[in-house]
Amino acid sequence: MILTQTKALFIDAYRELNAKKLFWLTLGLNLLVVVLYASLGINDKGVTLLHWNFESRFFNTALVSKELFYTLQFTQWGVPIWLTWATAILALISTAGIIPEMVSGGAIEPVLSKPIGRSRLFLTKYMTGLLFVALQVLIFTLGCILVMGIRGGAWNFNLLLAVPIVLAFFSYLYAFCAFVGLVTKSTIAALLLTILFWLAIWIVNTGDQMLIMQREGSIIQVEDRQLDIDKQIEFADKRIEQLREQGKPVPGDEGNPLPEGYEDIQEAVNPALRMSRSRLEEAKDSEITWTAWAGRIFTLKTILPKTQDTVRLLERHLITDEDMAKLMGFDAQSQPQNNSENDPAFADPRAAERSAEIMRKRSITWVLGTSFLYEFLLLGLCCVIFVRRDF
Amino acid sequence: MSPTMTPVIDIQGVEKTYNRRIKALRGVDLQVGEGEIFGLLGPNGAGKSTLVKIMTTVIHASKCQGTVLGKKVGDKAALRDIGYLPEHHRFPPYLTGRQVLEYFGAMSGINRKDRKARASELLELVGMESWHKDKLGSYSKGMRQRVGLAQALMNDPQLVILDEPTDGVDPSGRRDIRNILTQLKDEGRTIFLNSHLLSELEMVCDRVAIMVHGLVSTQGTIEELTADQSGFEIATNAPIDQSLLSQISTLPQIPPILDAKDPTRMTFQTDNAAAVQPAIDALRKQSIIIESAGFKRPSLEDLFMQVVDTNQGDKPGAISGAKGANS
Ligand SMILES: Nc1ncnc2c1ncn2[C@@H]1O[C@H](COP(=O)(O)OP(=O)(O)OP(=O)(O)O)[C@@H](O)[C@H]1O
Ligand SMILES: [Mg+2]
Repeated sequence: MILTQTKALFIDAYRELNAKKLFWLTLGLNLLVVVLYASLGINDKGVTLLHWNFESRFFNTALVSKELFYTLQFTQWGVPIWLTWATAILALISTAGIIPEMVSGGAIEPVLSKPIGRSRLFLTKYMTGLLFVALQVLIFTLGCILVMGIRGGAWNFNLLLAVPIVLAFFSYLYAFCAFVGLVTKSTIAALLLTILFWLAIWIVNTGDQMLIMQREGSIIQVEDRQLDIDKQIEFADKRIEQLREQGKPVPGDEGNPLPEGYEDIQEAVNPALRMSRSRLEEAKDSEITWTAWAGRIFTLKTILPKTQDTVRLLERHLITDEDMAKLMGFDAQSQPQNNSENDPAFADPRAAERSAEIMRKRSITWVLGTSFLYEFLLLGLCCVIFVRRDF
Repeated sequence: MSPTMTPVIDIQGVEKTYNRRIKALRGVDLQVGEGEIFGLLGPNGAGKSTLVKIMTTVIHASKCQGTVLGKKVGDKAALRDIGYLPEHHRFPPYLTGRQVLEYFGAMSGINRKDRKARASELLELVGMESWHKDKLGSYSKGMRQRVGLAQALMNDPQLVILDEPTDGVDPSGRRDIRNILTQLKDEGRTIFLNSHLLSELEMVCDRVAIMVHGLVSTQGTIEELTADQSGFEIATNAPIDQSLLSQISTLPQIPPILDAKDPTRMTFQTDNAAAVQPAIDALRKQSIIIESAGFKRPSLEDLFMQVVDTNQGDKPGAISGAKGANS
């Protein structure tokens, strides 16, 4: 009975999408991108696209193996750009209507008068939307595995991890979409508000990244300035010794008071130290400010679904730390290091490196756990609304 | 419902308030016995669809006691044996007639093989077999209604609830539906019907209830409801004056009631033709020409109008909004 009903709901969802021509359209686009993926290649000189060659200092077989090249393409644009932007938008357009159309007047009555609980009905409908995405991502990923196997010579079935990860990512958005669709009964409202919500998450996420970068930058600055002070003190100590040896008066000794406003002897003999100290205080202040803001946005992010972090789990998994370090190395080389004292803290490449490291080290439990908690609560709310609603 | 019948629908004190403001039902009591065709009628906005939606769990009652098919109202388990055709249904337009039947059949939990067989059977029953491959989006209103009726029968229900089943169906289609209803009754199913087409209800219903402003004001068989107004009617060519009337009334029989609007007609509350013969003799003696004489029962329409008129003052204004809607 449950199986029969679930199957019927899935078949119906497929027919609905099919009637809108969206299922096959999205699938076609996915396959097109797989073909594009297949037309990319790498050789000892650089990157190739069909028969064109693009010479590259970094991307050639001497530095990057074919397998890593294809994996990188998959994790750098295949998943984050194609699957999580293009496919996700296509999928949202395709599936945003499922819930509003189910609850629209005239369509819901015959369904509600069947022996199926309302929560189950709602959740099954929600699942049909997810299944759409799962199928699309599965086909895309299988295509990519095939390309990588044939062109890259490595059969990496770990790429299949993209299916659950992209699905989890999409389910966060789709839960919101279903919620709006249920409340407003409007597909357009569901679609637009979901895209706005997504944008908001993206902004919070970007804010999170920037603030972490700022915070790390300010920490580095504090460290740098501390080092600078240490050097200045060392210099001052040497200078004091020198003065003593030469029998010259040392400020702070008896009969030779410290000049007004100086903290200690070192400062008196080395005025630069004083300046360094006040610069350290400044850096410490800014570190406190940035840490506070980064903390706040982290809290905000904790209650929101973590779309980008979820997608990045894939990269974490598919690219080893060593490969990552190698790639980061390229980046560092490509940026000449000429950071002056006046550059903003986050311009320091070390800050970028550290914050990337922090992002990569965020626990999977935090990323997925809090996101699923959000999803669970939202879907629970949907069920309550749907069960109590009169149609 | 005769006392020996097992009630299929037995509900008491059903109340429904929409949005905490609109009192759609104000304590409805209703009994429907097994195997009968029950008609619920009432003016627009009386709450007929609301009652039906409560029985099919589409909406929640504010207050409700009693059972449908032996299960508490609102229990999903009862729905297995209930077939329902909603009022303003909109079945998925991307499905073909057959797919609609199979989809809703599956939602009722029927297995694939039975679904296929039953769908073919029902498409033929409602006369849609030649359209079964066309999408519902291309159907006319009456065709959708027929498919909707078939859909309500997919799960081989014991209780069939139809909310205005003949809405938009052509006269021959309406007759077909009437025949289907009698056939369903012969198969032992109970049918609950909401309709405005009083003449049709009259033809098929065993019992009716009239609902006004969220209350059932009368229910029973059509005979029961019209009993006190039916009788022998004599129509004459000239108005009967008071002296003649009192003269007839003194005859040892049932006294006549003169129609207030038309003094050429009088009614005797009896179905015994012999009992009115003395009155006819008396009239003939006065050389009054009798144009017609015979047993007369008020139509359901007369009854309906009467009930609605007497209840008009119940809740002023409630009905006026709905009056413009066609019935
Ligand atoms: N979803 C709803 N929300 C608010 N009020 C409603 C809703 N559905 C019905 N009503 C109100 O409840 C009352 C009864 O409506 P209902 O549809 O049950 O009448 P009906 O007897 O079926 O009328 P009709 O003969 O026109 O079909 C009406 O006053 C209507 O305005
Ligand atoms: Mg109605």
